[in-house]
Amino acid sequence: MTQRLYSLLAASILLLIIFASLIWLADADFFKSITAFFKGAFGGRKYAYLLVTISRAALITGMAIAALIAFRAGLFNIGGEGQLVIGGLASAFVAINLPFGGPAGIFLVLLAGMIAAGVWAMLAGIMKLWLGVPILVGTLLLNYPARYIASYFVSHPLRDIASGMPQTHLIEKSLWLPLLPGTRLDIGFIFILFIFCIVLIYCYRTVGGYEAKMTGLSIDFANASGLKTKKISLKTLALSGAIAGLVGAIAVLGIHHRFTDGMLVQPLYAWTGIVAALMVSLIPWAVLPAGFFFAAIHSGASGMERTADVPKEIAIIVQGMIILFVASKVPTAFNQNIGSGK
Amino acid sequence: MKAELHEISVKFGTFCAVNNVSLSFAPGEIHALVGENGAGKSTAMSVLFGLNTDYQGNIFINDQLRRWKSPADAISAGIGMVHQHFMLQETMSVLENVILCSEPVNKLGFVNFAAAAKTVQNLIDSYDLQIDQTQKVGELSVGQRQAVEILKLLYRRSEFLILDEPTAVLTPNEKEELFQSLSNFKASGKSIILITHKIDEVMMIADKVSVMRSGNLISSKLLKNTSKNEIQQNIIGGKLPKPIKRKQMHPKDIGFEMQKVIIPGLATGGKPISLKVYLGEIVGIAGVSGNGQGSLVEAIVGIRNILSGNMLLSNENISDQDVSARRKIGLSYIPEDRQSVGLALDASVLENSCVSQMRNKQFSNGYFFNLQHLFKFSEQLVSEYDIRVGSVKSKVRTMSGGNKQKLVVARELEQKKQLVIAENPTWGVDIGAINKIHQELIKMRDMGHAILLVSNEIEEIMGLSDRIHVMANGQLSESLNSDQVTANKLGELMLSRNEPALSEKLEMMRP
Repeated sequence: MTQRLYSLLAASILLLIIFASLIWLADADFFKSITAFFKGAFGGRKYAYLLVTISRAALITGMAIAALIAFRAGLFNIGGEGQLVIGGLASAFVAINLPFGGPAGIFLVLLAGMIAAGVWAMLAGIMKLWLGVPILVGTLLLNYPARYIASYFVSHPLRDIASGMPQTHLIEKSLWLPLLPGTRLDIGFIFILFIFCIVLIYCYRTVGGYEAKMTGLSIDFANASGLKTKKISLKTLALSGAIAGLVGAIAVLGIHHRFTDGMLVQPLYAWTGIVAALMVSLIPWAVLPAGFFFAAIHSGASGMERTADVPKEIAIIVQGMIILFVASKVPTAFNQNIGSGK
Repeated sequence: MKAELHEISVKFGTFCAVNNVSLSFAPGEIHALVGENGAGKSTAMSVLFGLNTDYQGNIFINDQLRRWKSPADAISAGIGMVHQHFMLQETMSVLENVILCSEPVNKLGFVNFAAAAKTVQNLIDSYDLQIDQTQKVGELSVGQRQAVEILKLLYRRSEFLILDEPTAVLTPNEKEELFQSLSNFKASGKSIILITHKIDEVMMIADKVSVMRSGNLISSKLLKNTSKNEIQQNIIGGKLPKPIKRKQMHPKDIGFEMQKVIIPGLATGGKPISLKVYLGEIVGIAGVSGNGQGSLVEAIVGIRNILSGNMLLSNENISDQDVSARRKIGLSYIPEDRQSVGLALDASVLENSCVSQMRNKQFSNGYFFNLQHLFKFSEQLVSEYDIRVGSVKSKVRTMSGGNKQKLVVARELEQKKQLVIAENPTWGVDIGAINKIHQELIKMRDMGHAILLVSNEIEEIMGLSDRIHVMANGQLSESLNSDQVTANKLGELMLSRNEPALSEKLEMMRP
C-alpha cells in the first residue's frame, strides 16, 4: 500500500515537471497557464466552463461505467467506441422518424440507442461462444464496421444535403434533452448519475453483479460452482453495450441534436472511458471522479489555449503520460489468477 | 556452503509470522523444516531466498553477514528455491525453461543454444535425472516438471537448494526418483532444505529436523537424536489426535450411480465406466494422478459432457443437466485445485462461501442479496470449521493453504447435498486441517450422505473409504472392500499399467 502511494507521488511529481517544462517550451508563463487551466476547467461567467466540463464528464463517465461492467466480469470489451456510435446512430435514426416528441419520445429514443448498442456488443459475445473469437479481438474489430456503417448512413440515406456536411437532419426540438433552468447544461448528466447509482447497487448488492464478478475473477471457479457463465457473459456484454448506447443517445439528444460523422469517435470518449476505469483499478465508485478528472483536463486545456496561448496539445500530452502510467498497471488488473504463496 | 539464519523475525502488521528463529545449515546435509501450514516455514525460507527483505535479524553465508535486496542477490550467491507451484513456461522446451534469464549469449546477443544444451545435458547425466531437454514442458508429468525446476537451480550453480513441499504432487515412483536425486545432490556436497509436513518422508531422508510452530522454532535436532513421535508432538503442540471413529452403517439405498458411461478424453478403448455410491458410505477412488480421475470427476459434476451412458442422482437422470441443475438436485463438489476452481482468490471469504447458494431463498430474492444473512452464514462457517481469517471481508488470497481448503470443504458440506465429491481434499494442507476435513467427511457419511473420495494418497483412501475402486489408465477396477484390501494390493493395481496413460496424452491435446 505504501509502495503504491510512493509510486503515485513519484508519478505526480514527474507529471508536474513534464507539464512545467512543456509550458516553458511553449514560451508561456507557468502561473498564468495554470490559472487559465483551472479557469477553463471550473470557471467562466456563471460557471459556464464548469458546465462544459460536467457535460463532457458525463459522457466519459458513462463510457467508463460501460467498460467497468464488462471488465469486472472478465470480458475485455474494448469496443465501447463501436457501441457508442451504433447507439448514437440508432437513436438519431429513431429521433428523426418519430412522429411525436416530449418525454415519451425521448424515452423511446434513448431506449432505441441502448437496444441497438446492446445487441452490437452481444455480437462479440456470440462470436466468442460459437466461433471462439476472443472478446478483446471481437469487440475491437466490431468498432470498424460500426464506424463505417454510421459514415455510410450519414453520407447517404440520412444525409442533410443542404447542410453540406456528412450529418443527419436536425432533430425535432421537442426531442432535445431539456436544459437545466438558467444554464446551457442539458440534463444528460442526470441520466448518467442515475445509471451510476444503479451500477453501484448492481455491483455491491445484486446477485447478477456478484455472479458477474465471480465469473471475472475465475471462470473455472464459476463453472464448477454452477454459475451459468455463458449466459452471464452475454448478459454482461449486453448491459455494457446498452450503457455505451445510452451515452451515444445522450450526446445526440443533448449536445449535438443530430448525428454528425465522427462526432462520437473524434473526442475519444470511449477510449478515455476505458482509461478512466482502469486508472481506478475497476473500483466502481471511483469511476465518477476519474471521468470528471479527464473531462477537466480537456476543458482546462481549451481554457489554457484561449487565454494563456499555450497549445491545447500540451494537456493532451499530459493526459497521454497519465495513460502511460496507467498502462503499466493494466497487466495486474487482468492477471489476477497468478497466485502468490499457497 | 554454510548458511545461518540468526535471530530472524518477520512481522506482517501486528502478526508475528516468524519469531526470533535461528537455524544453521551445513553442506552435504538434508535439513527438513517441518510444521503445519502457517507455522512460518515458508516465510522463514523466503527471508533466506531474498523474497522477503523486511525482517529483523541477520543472514550469514559462509560466516559473512549478507543482506539480499531481491532473490536475484540470493541466486547469485548460490541459493535456489523450488516453489510449491511451479514457475515454468509450458509452451517452451525444457532447455529454454532452464536457461531462461541466464542464457549464454555471444557478442551479438544471440543465444548459444548448442553450448547451453551441452551444459544442461551434462547436469542431467551427472545427477541421473529422468528428463529429455528437447521436450516441451507442457508435455511433462508433474514429477518431471519438478525435475526441470531443480535443473534450473543446478544450471545456476546453486549450492543451496530450498524445496517447498516437493512431494505434495508426486506419485510414489516419482517421489523415489526425487529422493534419489536429492541423495545425489547431498553426495556432491550441496545443502538441501526440505519444507514439508509429511513426517514419513522426513524420517526417510533427512539428516537434521527442525520443527516450527506458530512462528517459533520448537526444536532443531539431528534425526538420529529424535523420534517420529517427538517430531509429531512438536508439530501439533499437543497430544496426537485419535483415529477417527465411524458409525456402523448398513447402506442399502443407492445415492449415485453411473451406468456404462463413456467419457471423452478417457482412452479406455471405449470401455464404459459403471459405479455405485450408496447412501451412508464413502467410496474411494485410488490411483496415480493423471489416470483419468480428473475427467471422471468433471463428467460427474457436469463440466465435461459424456458420450453415452446414464448418470442417476436421486433417481433422476442427470446426464444432460448442467452444473447448476445437478447441484440443485443434490451434488456438492470439493475440487482438487482450490487456487482457481475451488475459490476465487481475489474475492472475499463471504463472497466465496455463498457462491452456489446465492439464488437460494434465504440468501437472496433472486435479484438483491440479503447481506445480513450472507454475513451471518459466512461467519458461522468460519467459526464452525475453525477457519483462521481476520474477517469474512478479507480476501481469500491472504489465507494459508489449509484454511483455504477448510473454507472450500465448509462451503460444500454445509449444503448437505446427497452426493459429495471430494477430489484430493487434503492436498498440501497441514495435519490439523487434514484431521478436521477427514472428520467432517466421516460425519457426512454417518449422516447418510453418499461420498465419492478421489485421492492420490493411499493412506487417505484406506483410512476413510468403505469400498475402493482403483483407477489406472482410464479404467476403473472392481470395487474392493477396504477392510479386506492391503496398501500393497492397491499399489499393485495402481501401477499395473506403468506406461504413461494414454488419457494423459489425450488430455494434452484437448484445447
